[in-house]
Amino acid sequence: MMGLNIVLLFKYVPNTNTVNVDPNTGTLVREGVPSVVNPHDLDAAEFALELREKYGGKITAMIMAPPNATKGIEFLLGMGVDDGVLITDRAYGGADTLATSYVLAAGIKTLEHYDLIITGQETLDSSTAHIGAQLASWLKIPYVYYVTEASLDNGALVVNRQLESCTEKYKVKLPALITVLMHSHPPRPITLENKLRAVIKKPVMMLTNNELKLNIQCTGLRGSPTVVAKTEFVSKIPRKKEIIKDKSPQEAAAWLISKLKDEGFLN
Amino acid sequence: MAEIPDKFDAIVIGAGPAGSASAYYLATKGFKVLVLERGRSPGSKNVFGGRVYVAPLKEIFPDFEKSAPIHRWVTRERMSFMHGNELVSLDYEGNDHKSFTTYLSQLAAWMALKAESAGASIVSDITVTGLLKEGDKVIGIKAGNESVKADVVIDAEGVNRLVLESTGLVQALKPSQVALGVKEVVKVNPEVLANEFGLGEGEGMAWSLMGDVTSGLPGGGFIYTNKDSVSIGLVMLLDSAISGANDEVYKYVERLKTHPKLSKYFKDSRIMEYSAHLIPEDVSSLMPPRLAYDGLLISGDAAGFLLNLGYTYRGVDFAAYSGYLAGKAIEQAHGLGGMSAANLLVYTKLLDQSFIMKNLKRFSGTHKLMRNRRLFTAYPAMMASLMRHIYSLDYESQKMFNTVLGSAKENGMGPFTLLTDGIEVMRYL
Ligand SMILES: Cc1cc2nc3c(=O)[nH]c(=O)nc-3n(C[C@H](O)[C@H](O)[C@H](O)COP(=O)(O)OP(=O)(O)OC[C@H]3O[C@@H](n4cnc5c(N)ncnc54)[C@H](O)[C@@H]3O)c2cc1C
Ligand SMILES: Cc1cc2nc3c(=O)[nH]c(=O)nc-3n(C[C@H](O)[C@H](O)[C@H](O)COP(=O)(O)OP(=O)(O)OC[C@H]3O[C@@H](n4cnc5c(N)ncnc54)[C@H](O)[C@@H]3O)c2cc1C
Repeated sequence: MMGLNIVLLFKYVPNTNTVNVDPNTGTLVREGVPSVVNPHDLDAAEFALELREKYGGKITAMIMAPPNATKGIEFLLGMGVDDGVLITDRAYGGADTLATSYVLAAGIKTLEHYDLIITGQETLDSSTAHIGAQLASWLKIPYVYYVTEASLDNGALVVNRQLESCTEKYKVKLPALITVLMHSHPPRPITLENKLRAVIKKPVMMLTNNELKLNIQCTGLRGSPTVVAKTEFVSKIPRKKEIIKDKSPQEAAAWLISKLKDEGFLN
Repeated sequence: MAEIPDKFDAIVIGAGPAGSASAYYLATKGFKVLVLERGRSPGSKNVFGGRVYVAPLKEIFPDFEKSAPIHRWVTRERMSFMHGNELVSLDYEGNDHKSFTTYLSQLAAWMALKAESAGASIVSDITVTGLLKEGDKVIGIKAGNESVKADVVIDAEGVNRLVLESTGLVQALKPSQVALGVKEVVKVNPEVLANEFGLGEGEGMAWSLMGDVTSGLPGGGFIYTNKDSVSIGLVMLLDSAISGANDEVYKYVERLKTHPKLSKYFKDSRIMEYSAHLIPEDVSSLMPPRLAYDGLLISGDAAGFLLNLGYTYRGVDFAAYSGYLAGKAIEQAHGLGGMSAANLLVYTKLLDQSFIMKNLKRFSGTHKLMRNRRLFTAYPAMMASLMRHIYSLDYESQKMFNTVLGSAKENGMGPFTLLTDGIEVMRYL
C-alpha cells in the first residue's frame, strides 16, 4: 500500500470566547465575530499528520462552508496538510447535519481515491457529533468514534476507542471513518515554510453545485428536516466574590458549606 | 503552479496600514513581496480610535473612495470640556469629505486584500522574531528557527517594536514615551445616531472630550460614530495611568458611557468589542536613530509617525503614507543598483518633503502640553464656571472679562498663569 490518502473534515466556527447570542431571536450573533478552525478538529489534524508521518501518503482538508473558510484551510495547510477542498454554494446554505453530510459525501466521491476520513469529535458551535456517522452511512463505510490511536495492519485499520471507563480495540476495513477524541492530540504549531507553500501554491480546490450536480431539494435549508422549535434563554448566574481571610481551614470549610447552602447549591 | 522563491525582493513585517501600503505599492511595480503578520488575519490585531484622514489614502489607492470600508464621512466635529456634570461643547458642522470613520480591522483587512490582489503574498499567524543579518546588512527575517531571505526588509510592526528592540536598533519602550488607549465599540440603535447625534445618512461625528474624562489624569476621550455603532474610548499617558489610576482602565470607559450628559447616547447599547493598545506619545524620542539601514526601512508607528493634536489623532494615514514612501524609496534604490543604506536614504528625503515630517516638526511640542495638568483639570473647570456665569443670570449681567478672571480665580489660577498657559498652547498647537 502506497501510504494513506486521508480526508480531514473540519468546520470553521465563530470563536466562542467572543460569541454572543441575540436575546430576541436566540440565534448566534456571527457578525463581526472572527472564526477559527473548530478546536477539536485541530486534534484530528494532528492525528492525521502523525499517521502521514508513520505511513506516508497525503492529507486533504475538506469543508462545506462559505468562501471565508478558505482561511481555515490555509491554517491547516500551515500545520502541514497537503491540500484542501472548499465546497461552497448558495444552495448549500442553512443546512442541518443531514444536508451537510449529504453534500460532504458528494464532495468526497469526487476524489480519485481515499482510504480514511478523519473528523473531530464534535464542533464548538453545534456539538451534535452527527456528521461522522451520517457521512459514513452515505458512503457505506465503517466508522468508529472517540479514537485515540490508529495503526495499519495488513491493509486494515486497528484503532483504540476511548470510552469513559475502558478502551475498546477495533479492526476495520478501509476505507473507513474515524472521529478523534477531543483533547487527545494537541496540535503542532504552524510553520512559516508550510504557510508559504499554502499562500504561494494555493493548493485549494473549490467545488460548487456546478460540479456536484446535487438535487437542491436535498441541500441547504430545503434539504434540512430539522426544525428548531424553540430556543430558551438560560439566565446568567451573576458571579459573586468573597474573600475568606483569617480563618482556619476548618472554619473556612464550614463557612464555605454554609454559604453554598444559603445559595441553594447544597442542602 | 507558482514556485516558492529562495529569496523575496522585499519582506514586510506587519500587515497594518503601514505594511500593507508598502506591499501594495511594491507589488503593483512588479516586486516579489512577502508580508508576515502575527495576527490570525490582517486587521485582527489593529486598534485605533475611529477616524481617518482620506487624502493620503486616495493618493496611495486610486480607487479608495469607491471600495474601501468607509462607514461615515465626518461632517460634524465636536469638542467638549467636562467638569463634574457640566459639559461645555464647541460644535462645527462642515460638509466636505476630509475624514471618515471606520473600523481599523476592516480598513487594514481591505488594504491587505488590495496588496494581495496586486500580487503580494500575505502570510498570517506568523510572528517575526528577529532580523537575519550578514554583518551589518539585513538580509531577511527570522521566525523562530525558520528564516526567509529578501533584498530588503520593511519594519512596519507598530509601536510595540519587539523586532527592532531584539536587533538593538531601538531601546525598550519607556512608559513616559507612550499613552494607553482603551476603547469599546458598542452597537447602538439607529435612532440614537439620527436623533441624539443628529446625523443623517452617511454623516458622521468625531467628538473629543477633555477634562473630567480620565479623573484628572492627563489624557482625553473620544467618540466616533460608525455605520451602526459607536466607538468610545480614552487615551491616558501610560506613566500617569500606572501611578495615578486607581481602577482597572476599562472602568474609566464604563464611567464615561454612564456620565449623566453622555448616557443618552449609549441607551440600550451593547458592547461588540473591547480593546486596548499603546500609542506613541513622545514621538520625537521614539523615532529610531535612523529610518534607513543596509537592507532595512522602518515605517508607521514603529518609526514614531503619529500626530497627536490633543483633539485628534493622525496615525493611520501617516503610517500608510510612510509605508507608501518606503515602497517608492525601494523602487528608486532598485534603480540605483541595490538596497544599500546609501541608496535607501532617499526614504528620509521623501519623508522630509512629505506632510508627515512637516507636521511632526510643526507639532513637535504638543506632547509637552499633555504634561500641563491644568489643561485637564483647571481649564475645563474654568470653562464650565465661565459658561455657568454667563448663562445662569439672576438679575445682573457680568462683564465678560471679569467673568473670565473670576472663573480663573475660582479654579486657582491668576492672570499670569492664564497668560503663560495661553502662550504655551499657541506655541505648540
Ligand atoms: C435547523 C438547523 C439550521 C442550521 N442552519 C445553519 C446555517 O444557516 N449556517 C450554519 O453555518 N450552520 C447551520 N446549522 C448548523 C449546521 O447544520 C451544523 O453545524 C453542521 O451541519 C455540522 O453539525 P455540527 O456542527 O453539530 O457538527 P458535528 O457533527 O458535531 O461535527 C463533527 C465533525 O464533523 C466535521 N464537520 C462538521 N461540519 C462540517 C462541515 N461543514 N464541513 C466539513 N466537515 C464538517 C468536523 O470534523 C467536526 O468535528 C444549522 C443547524 C440546524 C439544526
Ligand atoms: C486607542 C487608539 C486610538 C487611535 N485613534 C486613531 C484615530 O482616530 N485615527 C488615526 O488615524 N489613528 C489613530 N490611532 C493610531 C493608529 O492606530 C496607528 O498610528 C496605526 O494603526 C499605525 O499603523 P502601523 O501599520 O504602523 O501599525 P499597526 O496598526 O500597529 O500594525 C502593526 C501590525 O504588525 C503586526 N506585528 C507586530 N509585530 C509583529 C511581528 N513581530 N511579526 C509579525 N507581525 C507583527 C501587528 O499584528 C499589526 O498587525 C489610534 C491608536 C490607538 C491605540
